[in-house]
Amino acid sequence: MNRKVIREGLDSRIFDAVNKVLLVCFMVIILVPLWNVIISSLSSGRALAEGGFIFWSKEFSLENYRAVFNDSTIGQSFVVSVAKTFIGVITHVFFCAMIGYGLSKRYIRGRKLYVAMGVITMFFSGGMIPTYLLIKSLGLLNSFWVYIIPALFSYYDVVILMNFFRNVPDSLEESAKIDGAGDWHIFLKIFIPLSMPAMATIALFNGVGQWNDFMTTKLYITDQALYPLQMKLYEIIVQSQTQSMQNIGGSVVIETTTKGVQLATIVITTLPIVAMYPILQRYFISGMMLGAVKE
Amino acid sequence: MIKMTKVLGTKTLKPALLLMAAMLVAAGCSSGGGSTKAVEVSLDNRYTVDPETPAWQLDKKSETTDLTWYVNADWWNTDFGKDVVTKKIKEDLNINIKFITGDDTKLNTFFAGGDMPDLLTIFDSNSPVVQKAATWALPLNELAEKYDPYFNKVAAADTLNWFQLKDGKTYGYPNYSNTQADYDSGNIPAKTAFVIRKDVYEALGSPDFGTPEAFRKSMSEIKAKFPDMIPFGFNAIGEGTGSLGDALQDFIGVPLETEDGKFYNRNLDEDYLTWLRTLNAVYRDGAISDDSFADDGTGFEEKVKSGKYAAMLLDGTPQQGGNLQIFMSANPGKEYMAVDGPQSTQGHQPTLNQSGITGWMINYITKNCKDPAKAIQIFTYLLSEEGQKLMNYGIEGVTYKSNPDGTVELLPEVKDLQLNNADKFKKDYRMGEFMFFGHDRHKALSKDAFPESIKQMQEWGKGKLKPHFILENINPDQGTAEARGQTAINTNWNTTLVSMIRAKDEATFDSTLADHKAFLDKNNWSKIVEIRSEKMKANKEKLGIK
Repeated sequence: MNRKVIREGLDSRIFDAVNKVLLVCFMVIILVPLWNVIISSLSSGRALAEGGFIFWSKEFSLENYRAVFNDSTIGQSFVVSVAKTFIGVITHVFFCAMIGYGLSKRYIRGRKLYVAMGVITMFFSGGMIPTYLLIKSLGLLNSFWVYIIPALFSYYDVVILMNFFRNVPDSLEESAKIDGAGDWHIFLKIFIPLSMPAMATIALFNGVGQWNDFMTTKLYITDQALYPLQMKLYEIIVQSQTQSMQNIGGSVVIETTTKGVQLATIVITTLPIVAMYPILQRYFISGMMLGAVKE
Repeated sequence: MIKMTKVLGTKTLKPALLLMAAMLVAAGCSSGGGSTKAVEVSLDNRYTVDPETPAWQLDKKSETTDLTWYVNADWWNTDFGKDVVTKKIKEDLNINIKFITGDDTKLNTFFAGGDMPDLLTIFDSNSPVVQKAATWALPLNELAEKYDPYFNKVAAADTLNWFQLKDGKTYGYPNYSNTQADYDSGNIPAKTAFVIRKDVYEALGSPDFGTPEAFRKSMSEIKAKFPDMIPFGFNAIGEGTGSLGDALQDFIGVPLETEDGKFYNRNLDEDYLTWLRTLNAVYRDGAISDDSFADDGTGFEEKVKSGKYAAMLLDGTPQQGGNLQIFMSANPGKEYMAVDGPQSTQGHQPTLNQSGITGWMINYITKNCKDPAKAIQIFTYLLSEEGQKLMNYGIEGVTYKSNPDGTVELLPEVKDLQLNNADKFKKDYRMGEFMFFGHDRHKALSKDAFPESIKQMQEWGKGKLKPHFILENINPDQGTAEARGQTAINTNWNTTLVSMIRAKDEATFDSTLADHKAFLDKNNWSKIVEIRSEKMKANKEKLGIK
């Protein structure tokens, strides 16, 4: 019997070891390209053009970053990006939560109609040009609010929140009502705190979307002062691609390459959003748990 | 749909559909707008037109004119009035331009939204936007007559004719539009070359690349002697043919048309196919890298910069000038040089192409333009000798000086900045970059206009250029069945070309080619040939050829 235990222990130890080795391999597979992007972005244009390094650059240089940050307006773009992400996420989550809360109540009149209309928008959208015309007649062209107002509502997120709110026991709401709480009070003080995991999930989805989005800018914004970081960096990349075409005489001192600038851009734009993950991660884990426990 | 009805219940779906229908009707009714009548400006208190003087010199309008100029390219530098070139334009014309950039998506929204900019620059002269220019742009000939007759002195008549629409008016004016006269003048440098690294060429004892046999043999020798290099390279293929399509055909002088002046499928020319068979053999010898088929433009450029290719068929030498220069500066004595590469097996002479009469970017003045008089003045100004020199070389005495022989030369400190501080040069001077109406004629004025690295290649190409005007803009109109067929054929040819070069044996090569021929028949090829032949005929009439 004793022997058996030891054998089982050995089995599971082997299993663990194999698992660990596989996971480490897996991690290496993911980390090496990331690491390569980072060190390549910190490499001189010439070394990058010659290539042939994986773990350490042949010629360390900050030129790529200098090329990106050379643009004097980049600070302002950063502010726009942060503002639109921050305001956008908060308003989006709150707005969707309000609608989701309303639609989660079975006693709401016309609820089925609203749900049906929402589902239709999930299948069909207005298309780019009608949307442009709408935005134009709303006077949102070249306005900061074009980042916020059209992004307030997403039916997909409403459905997620709606279903989450439905899982909150009716008895909670009833007892609050008996104590004299109104709809707003119940929504703000009971449902929102109970639904933080769902809120965080949606906030992250939406935050990543807001942070990465540059199509909105491309279509509706012509004022450079309202360019977010993504649009600015997009411009820097396309400009670095066409630099050789534009210069007469072709300047010989090009310390950066298009690839280098692209890599630096990837690092700059990805870093802030990657930094957000650890902060929001705890909500994800608890979120999954909470969804799994049924009443 | 059935499932959805079940889920939602027919009761809710009906009102929803009704509502949607109502919304659609409402949206349909409220459309319209978009087309506006052109603004008429009064020239009272400003100037009286004089055919002998550019109107911008006469115009006494005191307040600055604000204009919006849309450029359909994301990479366009939107600064205005900060650098030497645009500051001078701003002062001379008393204008302030706000540049907007974007891509086709943005262009479409502009057209749909009806809020057009004052001036507009696009790149594809075969696009529907250009074909319909009459609906949204102002005709240049009428503007010139009304506000600035001097325009006709600086614009090329051939180019104006070329862009004439069916109503007999010309709406857009391009840059880098080369006319027959430009070709004849010898001022246009070649942009295609077969180049080889000097050290490789010398180490092999100046081998021959002219015949298929010699080409294959020389490539094998390179492979044996320089195992680290890729013996033969070519422009990134992407969705086209890189430099292995038209460029190679021009190189070996494949005829542009059939003997009776019809469209000739140059892709199936026997001479050309012989060379493709040779490339296939070279590939099988291991002298063409598989990477070359997968590389994008950037990938190819980085290989050029690092001198990875021993020899290349290079199309667009000015575009690669910077990359070639980087390699040249870092590796003296190893620079790429042009040699006589592949030649016709049937004794044809090279007929190298250059940017044709269609040019590159096309500029328009839209019907929404606030001050069309000012707008045509900008056209005249930039097209004039003075404007051209300003765009390319800046201001005389400040950035360049004129030599007695008529050539110009950048002043030493400006030249130094160009070579050693590209960023500052770009930002403060911006010469050669503001090229809405640029032209090779003015590039030829200075030896500073092209990098050292490509001068020998341009020299090599002298006398080998031949206008391809008759083949310009001959594709079936967009939106037609033939245009769709054409697109499918182009894609098919792209994969066919790559498959033929990579074929593992001659039988595979032949069967791939046969598949393409069958594909042509299936996609209405004869009709496309007919359309192209007609368009070629029209081109000849426009230009007065034969």
